[in-house]
Amino acid sequence: MVFSALREKLESPTLARLREIPLFSDLTAGELRIVDNLLHERDFVNDEIVFDEGEEGQAIYFILKGKVLICRQGRPVDGAIAELSAGQFFGELALLDDAPRMAQVRAAQDCTLAVFFREDFLGLLNTHAGIASKISLQLSKHIGRRLREAVNRYVV
Amino acid sequence: MATSRSSPGPVTWCGIIAVTCVLLFLFQKILWLVVPFLLALVLYYLLAPLARRLVLAGFSNDFVAVALSGAFLLGLGGWLLLLYPWALANAEGWHATLMRYLAGGYSLIDGVLTGMEHKFTFAGNAHLAETVRARFTAMQEHFAEEYLGAAVVALGAWLPSLLLIPVITYFLLKEGANFRKFLGEAIPNAYFEKTLYLTYAIDRTARAYFLGLVKLTLLDAGLLSSGFALIGLSSPLMLGCVAAVLGQIPYVGPLLGCVVAILVTGTDFPGQVGLAYGVLGLFVTVRLLDDFVFLPAIVGKSLRLHPLMSLLMLLVGGAIAGIAGLMLVLPIMGVVLLLGETLEMILKDPRLRARHAFAVALRKRAAEVDLTAAG
Repeated sequence: MVFSALREKLESPTLARLREIPLFSDLTAGELRIVDNLLHERDFVNDEIVFDEGEEGQAIYFILKGKVLICRQGRPVDGAIAELSAGQFFGELALLDDAPRMAQVRAAQDCTLAVFFREDFLGLLNTHAGIASKISLQLSKHIGRRLREAVNRYVV
Repeated sequence: MATSRSSPGPVTWCGIIAVTCVLLFLFQKILWLVVPFLLALVLYYLLAPLARRLVLAGFSNDFVAVALSGAFLLGLGGWLLLLYPWALANAEGWHATLMRYLAGGYSLIDGVLTGMEHKFTFAGNAHLAETVRARFTAMQEHFAEEYLGAAVVALGAWLPSLLLIPVITYFLLKEGANFRKFLGEAIPNAYFEKTLYLTYAIDRTARAYFLGLVKLTLLDAGLLSSGFALIGLSSPLMLGCVAAVLGQIPYVGPLLGCVVAILVTGTDFPGQVGLAYGVLGLFVTVRLLDDFVFLPAIVGKSLRLHPLMSLLMLLVGGAIAGIAGLMLVLPIMGVVLLLGETLEMILKDPRLRARHAFAVALRKRAAEVDLTAAG
């Protein structure tokens, strides 16, 4: 292929960091670049609120650096639900619909998050169905795992 | 619709209308930049699917931007290089053709007016045919010095700015995603998720509007060309394309297109007034189809403006910036409307403002953590 020399063979550090996120693990380098173009990086300081419980969800968040705390609204100490760190993600249900957020999320440390907007995901379904289906498959696996864990907890 | 957005309040509406008028006033001063930018935006939206395919195939964003905009530049440059000697060689013939069509159109109008003067006394007293004849003769005599020179100078002045189209398209293809991120970085975290919708909505609105207009122009060109071919006019395809492009200028455009077609009818079929009415009927039919069938289906309600508001703003746009104002006012107002709505939504949400104030306090505290004076 004449143009093969022009193609980007090496994965940039950003793309390597994105590949660590389970939702993007199946994507090729070209597909990751397309997704990377759609992501927004945001820095949050320790204790800053990412979103509130009951707020309309518009985006999923990927933790690139630092930790976040998922808790009941306004109860970071006695209402803590989970603490997530780099490589994990939250707010995933917002990719599917605009239902209210189920909990509040605050930065547990200074952290960097990548934000993936639902409209961009829906756009991918139209323009790059292959990418969207790979992400959807990983998302389904993730939600299934969470459901099994919840059922197991309830049964035990 | 992702986010439920209520209609703006009266104060916001006043602000939206005022900002639209100010922008129109400013834009007409830099029309040499606004027009190539809008054309580049249309080209960007047309090339974007191909660009995405190339990126997916493994090519870098930079390479794709250079390749696509470079190909367009080469095509445009090649076309201009070929056009120039061809235009020089045919200029004389064009002048003769133009005068022939004007004369044909004039004879048609003269026939209609003379007929009216014979039938109606008030028309005879007005001496319409005589007045039109005098004006046409004057225009024919002074055409070259009054119109041709000005047209050539205007074309010469616009040509360099049209060469900006591939340059702007290159930057849109290369930096489009980064620009959205850059805009996003200016928004504080507390407002980010709410306003992230804004950039998407503006992009979607502009895409729907401009690509819709391109589709509408192609559809009109097809219908008008077919109609002209059925009537038996010469060069129906070219005439249909010219009329369809002119038709996208609100109000005056369809009228201009119709006048051009009637001039050709008057020349091709001298004295056959019935065919001129046929052409007029074709234009009215296509206009009705545009307004009631194609526009809602293709461009849709992308701008979400009330028809009465659209009409009023078209009048205001025309008064402020003429034909450019007619063409620019609706897309500008569509974008300003989205901005106004978002601003109102943020300013009316006390929780978002409190979260922003809290984040500012946290950042200030974090910045000052080791600055406390020692004991």
